[in-house]
Amino acid sequence: MPSASKAFMLSWHNANRALNTPLPAQTARHGADFSADEIISPLDERVIASASEAMEAGQTHYVDVPGIGPLREALADYLNRAGGSAYEAGNIIVTAGMQEARFLTIQKIGELFDSIGVPAVAHPGARKALGVRRRNIVSLPVDSARGYLPAIDGIAAALAEGCRLLYLESPSRLSGAAYTADEVAAISQLVGEHDAAVIWDQGLAPWIDGDYNSLAALESTPTRVAALSDGWPGMGLSSWFLGAIAAPADWIPAMQSQKQIMAICTATATQYAALEAGQIYNERRDERLAQMRRQREGALHAAAAAGLEVVAGAALNILALRAGAGGEAALAKLRESGADGAHFGAPDTVRLTISNAAAAALRDATEKETE
Amino acid sequence: MSKNNQKQEDQGTNLLYKLIGEARGYDDVIVMGRGDPDFDTPPHIVAAAEEAMIHRHAEYTPPAGLPPLREAIAERVKRVNNIDVDPATEVVVTNGGQEALFLMVLATVGPGDEMIVPEPNYNTYADSLDFAGATKVEVQTWPHEDFRADPALVRAAVTERTRALLLVSPNNPCASVISPADTRELLDIAIKRDLMILSDEIYDLFVYDDFVHTSPASLPGGKERTLTLNALSKSYSMTGWRLGWITGPADLMARVAELKAAISGGVSVISQYAGLAALTGPQEPVEMMAAAYKRRRRLVLDALDAMGMAYGLPQGGQFVFADIGFTGMDSAEVAQRMLTEQHVLAYPGSAFSKDRKDYLRMTFLQPEDKLIEGLERMKVAMQGIMAGR
Repeated sequence: MPSASKAFMLSWHNANRALNTPLPAQTARHGADFSADEIISPLDERVIASASEAMEAGQTHYVDVPGIGPLREALADYLNRAGGSAYEAGNIIVTAGMQEARFLTIQKIGELFDSIGVPAVAHPGARKALGVRRRNIVSLPVDSARGYLPAIDGIAAALAEGCRLLYLESPSRLSGAAYTADEVAAISQLVGEHDAAVIWDQGLAPWIDGDYNSLAALESTPTRVAALSDGWPGMGLSSWFLGAIAAPADWIPAMQSQKQIMAICTATATQYAALEAGQIYNERRDERLAQMRRQREGALHAAAAAGLEVVAGAALNILALRAGAGGEAALAKLRESGADGAHFGAPDTVRLTISNAAAAALRDATEKETE
Repeated sequence: MSKNNQKQEDQGTNLLYKLIGEARGYDDVIVMGRGDPDFDTPPHIVAAAEEAMIHRHAEYTPPAGLPPLREAIAERVKRVNNIDVDPATEVVVTNGGQEALFLMVLATVGPGDEMIVPEPNYNTYADSLDFAGATKVEVQTWPHEDFRADPALVRAAVTERTRALLLVSPNNPCASVISPADTRELLDIAIKRDLMILSDEIYDLFVYDDFVHTSPASLPGGKERTLTLNALSKSYSMTGWRLGWITGPADLMARVAELKAAISGGVSVISQYAGLAALTGPQEPVEMMAAAYKRRRRLVLDALDAMGMAYGLPQGGQFVFADIGFTGMDSAEVAQRMLTEQHVLAYPGSAFSKDRKDYLRMTFLQPEDKLIEGLERMKVAMQGIMAGR
C-alpha cells in the first residue's frame, strides 16, 4: 500500500532546494578530476606509523567528544600560528570533516539568532547545512572583481537591517580570494558595533602565499567568532575527514552536546594520524607552498593561453576561471573536470583544484579549441 | 503514556558526560556505564585499516559510502536480518550508529510531527527529535513485563500527527527483545495507520536464551516503510571507528543520503575499509565476544539476585536495567554516590527517561574479575545508602 506519510516527507525534502544543493567531492575521484575540495597529497609514512601504533595499543574505542587532548592542543597552536589568534585546547572541537564543522556551527550558533547572512557566492556546503533545519538566510552581495568576497558595504547593510550572524569565507572557497588586513579590521568593527557574531571559514588559509588575516585574531572579535578549519590540508588526510571548530568557550558546550548527539566523537585513527600530520606540516610547509606555487604558475600560463580569465584569488590550491575573449569553448571543456561555479552561486565560473595534471588539462582544453 | 517536548540534554546526555568525566579521575574506577566494549578491535580489522592507509588513503568516497562496503552490508543484512536491499540505492554508511540514528529521525519527522517511542529509551532519540522539532510520544514499558513494548499501548498512542514509530530491539537501556509476534503486530499498526518505522538493531547479534530478534523490514509490507539502523561498534568492538549504516527503501534512502552529505559529507575511508574487513573476514571474534557477554550477563544477574534487586530480564544487548527504588533515592544521586564512594560507574535511569529515576543501567562490558569487583563495590555502596537512611 503506498504510504501517504512517506510521500509527504519525500515531497517536503524534495522541495528543499538548499538541502539538495550538490557538493563538490572531498577528494578527487580520479587523476583527471579537478573538482574536489582538496588536492591529492601523499601520506607520509610517519602518519601511518603513528595511527598504527595507536590502534595496536588499543586506541580503538570512543574518545572524548571534542577530540583527544593532544590534538586539540595541536590544532589551537596551529590556528594561532597561522592566524594570530589566541585559542587554547578548550576552544577546539575536532570534527569529522569540514562539512560537520559547517553544520555544527551553522545549526547551533544559528539557534541563537533569527537569521544568518551568507555570501551569494559560497561553498555549497553552507547552504546544504542550512537546509537541514531551515533558517532565515540573508544573501550578502559579492564583488566579482574581488574574487566573489562579500563587499564590506553589503555586510554593513545586512547588519544595519538586523542580521546578527554572518557566515564568511576568507579565503573564498571558490576563488581563494582573502580579505586584506584593512577589510578584516572593518568587518571586526562592524561586528562589534552591531553586537553580531561570525562563523569564519578559514580552511584555505594554509594555502595563502604570504600573511593571512584572520578575524579571530583581532582583539575586538575573539568572543564573537567561530573559526572553521580543515586541519592540515595537503597532508594526505582528505579522505579521512578531519575538520575543526575554534570558538569562544561559552559557545563550545552547545556544539559539543550536538556533536555527541550526532556522532559521539571523530574516528580515533583519524585523530592520531592528524596529530602526526600536524608535526610534519610544520616541518614542510614552505616546501609544500613552493611546490604549489610552481604548479599554479603553470596553470595560470595555460589559462591565459586558453583565453580564460582568472578570478582574483590568493590561495595556491585552487583556481577559479571565467571565459575571457574566445575562451568559452575551453571553459565548457573544463566544466567536465572542474567544480561547477553554479553550485557556489557563480554560474559563469569553474573552479580547478591545482596540480600538474590540472595545468595539463588546461593546455589540453586550449589545444582542442584551436584544432 | 505522555507527550513530552522537554529538552532532555541537561538531564540525559550531559549528566552522563559529567559522570564519565569524574570517573576518569579515579585510577581504580570500574566502568559499568558506557556502552563501550572492553575488547579491543580484532587484529585482522586493524591490519586491514593499516593496509588501507598505505594503499587507499586518498580514495574518493561518496557520501553514501564505498561501493564494496555497501555490498558487504547488503550481504550482512540479508544473512542476519533477512532484509533484501540494493547496495547501490538502499544503503548509506554513517559515522557510527549515532549518526545513523540522527539521520533516521531527520529523514522521517519534521516540526509538529509525533514519533511514538517506547520508554525508557536511549537518550539521544529525545535529543534528535528535539533538534528536528518533533514530539516524542512515550509508551511506557515495565520490568514486570520484561519491558515489553505493548502493541495495544502503541495503537492507543497514535494520533493524526503521528508520523513514525521507533523500535529498538534489543533495547537500550532495558535489554528487551521484541518478539516476532509483537513485531508483526506493530508493523500491522504502522501499515494501518500509515506510520514509518525506525528500527534500531545495533545489538541484534546479542540475543540470549530462546529469544528471537525479528527485523520489521524483513516482514511482508515492512521494507517500504522501515529504516533500519546498525553499526559495528558493539558487535565488532569498533566504537572508535565510527562506522554504521542505514538500510531502507530507495526513495527514502535518497533523502537519507542528502542529509548525510549535509551533516558530515562522507565517512573516513580508513574506517570503511576496516568495516569491510569486519564484515567479510573471520567471524570468530564476534562469536567469542558474544559468548563472553552471555557468561557475564549470568554473573551480573546472579549478583543482583543475591542483592535482592529487581530487574527486567535482559533478553538481548549488553545491559541490565535494575530497580533501585528500595533506596528511596534518585538514581542520579545513587550513581553519583557509587562513583564517588566506590569508584563504580553505572548510568542513572533518569538519563534515559524522566520517569525512571529509580533505575540504574549496568553494562556487562568489563572482564569477569572486574565485574565481580564492581558488583561487590556496588553492594557496599547500596549497604551504605541503606544504612544512612
